[in-house]
Amino acid sequence: MSAESPARKEEMVMEHLVSLTYRERLTPSLNRFVDRILEGELIGHRCPSCSRVYVPPKGYCPLCVVTTSAEDEVQVSDRGILTGFTIITPVAYYGQQATDPFVYASVLLDGASTPVGGQDITGVAHDRIHTGMRVRAVWRPPAERRVEGITNRGWGGLDAVIESFEATGEPDAAPEAYKEHLF
Amino acid sequence: MAARDIAIIGYAQTPSQRDAIQSEVQLLVGTITDAVTMAGINRREIGFTCAGSCDYLTGGPFAFVSNLEAAGSWPPISESHVEADGAFAMYEAWMRLQEGDIDIALAFGSGKSSPSNPAEVWAHQLDPYYLAPLGADPVSLAAIQARALLDSGRATERDFAEVVARSRARATANPNAQLSGAVDVDALLAAPYHTAPLRRHDLPPISDGAAAVIMARGDKARELCSRPAWIRGMDHRIDPHQPGVRDITTARSATMAAQKAGYDGGPLDVAEISATFSPQEIILREALGLPDGTEINPSGGPLAGNPVMAVGLIRVIEAAARIIGGGADRALAHATAGPLLQQNLVCLMEGE
Repeated sequence: MSAESPARKEEMVMEHLVSLTYRERLTPSLNRFVDRILEGELIGHRCPSCSRVYVPPKGYCPLCVVTTSAEDEVQVSDRGILTGFTIITPVAYYGQQATDPFVYASVLLDGASTPVGGQDITGVAHDRIHTGMRVRAVWRPPAERRVEGITNRGWGGLDAVIESFEATGEPDAAPEAYKEHLF
Repeated sequence: MAARDIAIIGYAQTPSQRDAIQSEVQLLVGTITDAVTMAGINRREIGFTCAGSCDYLTGGPFAFVSNLEAAGSWPPISESHVEADGAFAMYEAWMRLQEGDIDIALAFGSGKSSPSNPAEVWAHQLDPYYLAPLGADPVSLAAIQARALLDSGRATERDFAEVVARSRARATANPNAQLSGAVDVDALLAAPYHTAPLRRHDLPPISDGAAAVIMARGDKARELCSRPAWIRGMDHRIDPHQPGVRDITTARSATMAAQKAGYDGGPLDVAEISATFSPQEIILREALGLPDGTEINPSGGPLAGNPVMAVGLIRVIEAAARIIGGGADRALAHATAGPLLQQNLVCLMEGE
């Protein structure tokens, strides 16, 4: 399209900002999850059919398609294995507050079958971060923990309770322990 | 033509309810499992799955992906999604079955309207230049449609109230209904306007829910179900998006969809139609050409429960259930989408 075409001069741009508000009740299993993380404990549901442990609990096993409930609740560790990570160099898009490179890591907690994603890794130089690293949660002080970001979609929001994960100093986990969780 | 050889053999729906405690996926887990159980099949026998939902309603991008977990999608399955009511997902699955290489298909629809403000959400399905910036919400649009219908002289406010009274009365026999009971037409007419000329009872409830159907081809359907609901035809047609350029006291695309689905105006035992606001039952009865003896919305219809994105598929289920149960030989189901009956789908079913 050329700049001098008459049609171009008649183009009109209108801004249409959309804001939609949703008020969602957490499912009973997520309510319980939220109660426990405020106390510094992580829980999941163990599928009665395949024994996989989902953290946070979904209320069902997507592989077996069976429902799970409070009877299937198990506590998992706040330590685990780093199964994957990205180091993000932020660009100044609208809403981006970070200016320095940061980490988005997935952590397979001991006792869980599903990694928790989007976790920060601190206390380790970015070029030393690697899969198989043993890490532990750095909990925010109880009074500073916030759970508003935890929704029925089942991911995100944990960073307002667990500030980051740091290296435990233990030897790396064997690849067999996390190879199903690499992506 | 293969189209004559496909039938509904299993179905399930959740009760229609406000503020469901389960997530949308959880609503689907039990519903799909129940439909699979009713069909008497193993989940792995399903050759194609199609889902209908709306991310704007759920309030998250790609929300439909987690819904798929309820279908048992590992090992990988062949599936698709429509950003529409489950009835439109069923249309795609019905088309897929006509390819002839698979015998069984699953379609489902789900939505939770409670977490959002539907008046805000649905304004955004309108054209982005003229109507969406006005925030034209479904109730206001339906009131304009109701006014146009009154002005045409083809209905009165009493007719609207009679639609509501019939819906509530019939819904007393529907365990999944959200609103039911005996109501007096004069008492309804004594209520104040909500958005004139509509009163609150002329509006559907805000509902959460899910629905699923299993379809099978030919001998497979006969083997699995003693009296399948044979789909004799299904079609959907679309009117112009801008309500201002069409006659909103009728639904030409509904008339066309009924004709293309093979409905010839002949006898029908049951019609389950997506009349979301009471005046729309009068509009659709005319547009679809429903004969006098036809029982319209024996379930109570959307006025008794309106889980958007499942409500159209529930019309198909309610009609099919009456054929499978032996209470009806020929039934029509109707689903709609878009503002003021803009898009219309008709499914014509018969017993054998």
